[in-house]
Amino acid sequence: MKSDTAVPGKELPKTDPRVKLIAAKLKKENYQPDALIEILHTAQNAYGHLPKEVLTYITKALRLPPSRVYSTVTFYHFFSLKSKGEHTCLVCTGTACYVKGAQQILQAIEKETGIAPGKVSADNKLGVQVARCIGACGLAPAVVIDEEVQAKASPEEIIQKLNAKIGKI
Amino acid sequence: MNTIPITIDDKKIEADPGKSILEVCRENDIEILTMCHLKGILDIGACRLCLVEIEGMNKLLSACTTKVAANMIIRTNTDRIRKYQRITTELFFAERNHVCAVCVANGQCELQDLGYKVGLDHIRYPHLFPQCEVDTSHPWYVLDHNRCIMCSRCVRVCNEVEGAHNWDIKNRGHQVRIISDFDTPWGESVTCTSCGKCLHACPTGAIWPKAIVQGQLQKNPGMICELMEKRKMRL
Repeated sequence: MKSDTAVPGKELPKTDPRVKLIAAKLKKENYQPDALIEILHTAQNAYGHLPKEVLTYITKALRLPPSRVYSTVTFYHFFSLKSKGEHTCLVCTGTACYVKGAQQILQAIEKETGIAPGKVSADNKLGVQVARCIGACGLAPAVVIDEEVQAKASPEEIIQKLNAKIGKI
Repeated sequence: MNTIPITIDDKKIEADPGKSILEVCRENDIEILTMCHLKGILDIGACRLCLVEIEGMNKLLSACTTKVAANMIIRTNTDRIRKYQRITTELFFAERNHVCAVCVANGQCELQDLGYKVGLDHIRYPHLFPQCEVDTSHPWYVLDHNRCIMCSRCVRVCNEVEGAHNWDIKNRGHQVRIISDFDTPWGESVTCTSCGKCLHACPTGAIWPKAIVQGQLQKNPGMICELMEKRKMRL
């Protein structure tokens, strides 16, 4: 065992507004280890994903074992260790959306941008994800671009919207 | 203390309330197969080998996590239970790469013993043959994911007995793996105390000391229970 028992990792800049958000949440939850998931939610919303330094910071603040935090983060699909991209495009592949052509939309996106489902573009501008069902089957096929639901989407329409987002037009 | 009457395999038994079915069976020399159970640490009912039939209940329940209740009629050795034990054992072998002939734990392995006990001669499921890592970064010990059956005994021993909580489990489904700290190599872990209790807790040859070869592993899983009892007796 190494003499320094502190978890190694870069210190987070205290002036960063995202760090301030997490610090405020930690204080609100009274640094209780049971509040891990709530705090991870705050961190994920602030950063878009969970960088290693942030996990280290939360681990230290809650006095939790690092493996416990890592285990929680990898168990839930909501949390991500890698960046999901500046802009996100979530394609629903539930039964209704699948029947209405979700696969064609995914194929069109991959053909146009070269991003496979679950991947992020090399410049981190756009991430493409798939969901089992977003509960909007009446709007099938549904696509969510930056938290905005696109109802009865067509491949052409989605490509056009995505190009506008990543600034190709 | 008041005891409660229960029936296990047509045998009438007076059991202490608050005990699990598994504990009562072991006290009365009734054999129940287990894998994730280790005396001295908490039971989680993960391996599903200790399933028993309880009259009036459709589901099979795990003996290690079910407490005895008055007038329970339990069966531990029916065709249905033997069928499930066989399935579970086959799945253990099919999930990772278990090759007894080159394993340090050959002859000292609970999974191997289980295979003999259920009379395993072939496996009906396709082997997954996953590409698993072998972590040799620790100066004394090795962690071989190929031989891990995800019983989580090492995780619980490290947390409950040693109190270090170096181990935990990442991901879910077939991608689960034992991890130390932030999925860092074992040798770089800051929480591991190198106490070696996980070696003794491991039922297979997934964690073993360096510098031994095939079949040389010496393990003492009973040490965990002894430690916990000594702790309770501490003046």
